Amino acid sequence: MLSRLALANGVALRAVIHSTRPCVVVAPKSLLHTSQVRSMPVKLPEKGGQVKFGFIPEEWFTMMYKKTGVTGPYVFGFGLIMYLLSKEIYILGPETVHGAVVLAMIVYAAKKYGGTVADWADKQIADQLSNAEKSKIESLKAYEDAIKEEKLEQWRIDGRNNLFDAKRENVQLQLDTEYRERQLQVTNAVKARMDYYIAVEEMKRKKEQEHMVTWIEKNVVESITPQQEKEILNKCISDLQKMATTA
Amino acid sequence: MAAKRVAQKAVDWAAFAERVPPNQKVQFNALKGKSDAIKAKFMMTPEKPPAIDWAFYKNKVPVAGLVDKFQKQFESFKVPYPTESVTPMIADQEKQMDKQASDFKVESDKRVAKYEQEIAKLNNMIPFEEMTKEEFVEYFPESVDYIKKYPYWPHKPIWEQKA
Repeated sequence: MLSRLALANGVALRAVIHSTRPCVVVAPKSLLHTSQVRSMPVKLPEKGGQVKFGFIPEEWFTMMYKKTGVTGPYVFGFGLIMYLLSKEIYILGPETVHGAVVLAMIVYAAKKYGGTVADWADKQIADQLSNAEKSKIESLKAYEDAIKEEKLEQWRIDGRNNLFDAKRENVQLQLDTEYRERQLQVTNAVKARMDYYIAVEEMKRKKEQEHMVTWIEKNVVESITPQQEKEILNKCISDLQKMATTA
Repeated sequence: MAAKRVAQKAVDWAAFAERVPPNQKVQFNALKGKSDAIKAKFMMTPEKPPAIDWAFYKNKVPVAGLVDKFQKQFESFKVPYPTESVTPMIADQEKQMDKQASDFKVESDKRVAKYEQEIAKLNNMIPFEEMTKEEFVEYFPESVDYIKKYPYWPHKPIWEQKA
């Protein structure tokens, strides 16, 4: 992200320093652009700035290659240093040693830990990107599930006629049950009337019979006179004697 | 006559059960229970009551002419079929529900169109590697607050950082 901020501020700087990036190359003539012209897409370079001796950018060497060949920059550098020292334009002192040691430490640290730090930073970026991708996929899935839900609900509501068919069937069944019950009622009522008459008749006959039997019995018992009773008893006794002798 | 009417439109309870949403299962079970009870009662009642044996009664009943009179009346008597006033209510309910269903369908289709729009937008998005912060905010306007809240690296509260 910082690189993006840098881009926002230093289009010209990019043109000079990062002209060897393998991605979209910004032509040096963007130096002449006076407005913020950005080329899209904005991508990170595959490799960081290449350096010689740990701190001198590679671009300077390639810039001079055309005119002076391979050894040009080295000769120029050496000659410049010699010129500065011999003419005492640059005076050696304790600060020189200090600066050299600091420079050496920086170069050493960059060489030793540069890769690790770069990997860590790249991992951060990759994490962010993968998070974004994941949430995008999740949203897509959520939307598709929502669409499926809606379609399902629509299909469900299409089955509403079943409810009303069930209601009508229930009503119909209840009506039919009532009709059948009424038929049964009628039949049973008619039967009951006729059975009543029959039962009444039966009861009358039974009563008459009983009455007749008791009346006959009573009269027969009454009609036995005392004279008849004695004769019958004597006859019974003589019969019994006869039976006793013969048995 | 009764049997013909019943076979009007048999309800397929299995298919019906499929279409019941889960939050209305209780009511569906109640309805099914009631329907089953009504059907059971219907099955129990005989379709035709047992015929009356007129000859037997003619011999037995002492009152002359009574049996014949009853027989004539019985055979000419038509049991009235019961009437009901619920069917128009059912038709009203059906109409109401149809209207509700069509309204719901319209709303539902609108929602589906919205979702499909979102899906198309997400699918046609440029990949995240090529997006700038401004473009991200354009695509996901609800992230503006979060970005404003954590403008500096690491862009998330301390307790959300991995150890």
